[in-house]
Amino acid sequence: MTQVIQVADAPQTLTLKTNRDRRNWWQSPWLRRGLLLVPSALIVLALLNVFGQRMVTARATSSEATLSVTAPDHARSGVIYAARFRVTAREDVKKATLVLDSGWADGYTVNGQAPQPISQGSSDGRLVYGFGHIPAGHSLTFWLSLQVNPTTVGEHHQSVDLYDGRRLLATVRRSVFVFP
Amino acid sequence: MDIVLRAAVAYVFIIFLLRIIGRRELSTLGPSDLVLLVVMGDLIQNGVTQSDQSVTGVFLAVSTFAMLTVAFSMMSFKSRRIQTVVKGTPLILIQDGEPIEANLRAERLKVEDVTEQARGQGIERLDEIKWCVLEASGTMSFIKAA
Repeated sequence: MTQVIQVADAPQTLTLKTNRDRRNWWQSPWLRRGLLLVPSALIVLALLNVFGQRMVTARATSSEATLSVTAPDHARSGVIYAARFRVTAREDVKKATLVLDSGWADGYTVNGQAPQPISQGSSDGRLVYGFGHIPAGHSLTFWLSLQVNPTTVGEHHQSVDLYDGRRLLATVRRSVFVFP
Repeated sequence: MDIVLRAAVAYVFIIFLLRIIGRRELSTLGPSDLVLLVVMGDLIQNGVTQSDQSVTGVFLAVSTFAMLTVAFSMMSFKSRRIQTVVKGTPLILIQDGEPIEANLRAERLKVEDVTEQARGQGIERLDEIKWCVLEASGTMSFIKAA
């Protein structure tokens, strides 16, 4: 004897296969869990400083002086920060001059600088700041207050050279990547 | 151009986010859901218009959002597949008074959440319900047993 089991029809336009049993691959709870990894990964990467703007210090040392540059190597458009340049003289540096790549100004707004350099200029598109004499054993700290322009994206070279007059003492090679 | 691109990226990301966090958050207003919906708009605005305070910027951002809404709506209308991706599909939560646990769990809903909604429809007990469907919009529809 055949037993007939009555199965209720789903409401119109719904099907039991799709709307009750979720049999399609795109209805798998694992798909949604997998997609939730995208925002989760963004958060983890942000905590790991992938998107900036944690300050990073890069140094270059010569027999005459040490140059250190502290600034983010990852930033986002619109963020404000102050880069710090520190020159520690081992020997007398008579005409300390910092020469900054154009990437420090290109796509940035320079909000201010402290202390005011003795001289400012440009050399082949690079920024030149003259500070004068730094006696042996002393140091000079220079802050540059910056804001990334909202439309700036991509990598910017931000190397810094330290000169004594025309003599190159140290070079810090660095770059910053700006996220949109 | 920048504002249009930012607005478009933000729009697609919001749609993606709202689809993956689940329908429960779209229709219920618990404390955490309320925080999400209220704060989201403000956070997005900063990223879209940034320091642009011009009326032109407002026109561009709002127009982009409006046109994308129309575009998504048209694509959903034309293609069932896109409709499924963008809007989701209704999900049956109760059949003949019996809760479908797997579906409730998938949407992080308890039977109490369903009975709360049912009471709003004048339904006292689960066995009065023939079908309870969680619609793509996040609302619950009830069809009473005869």
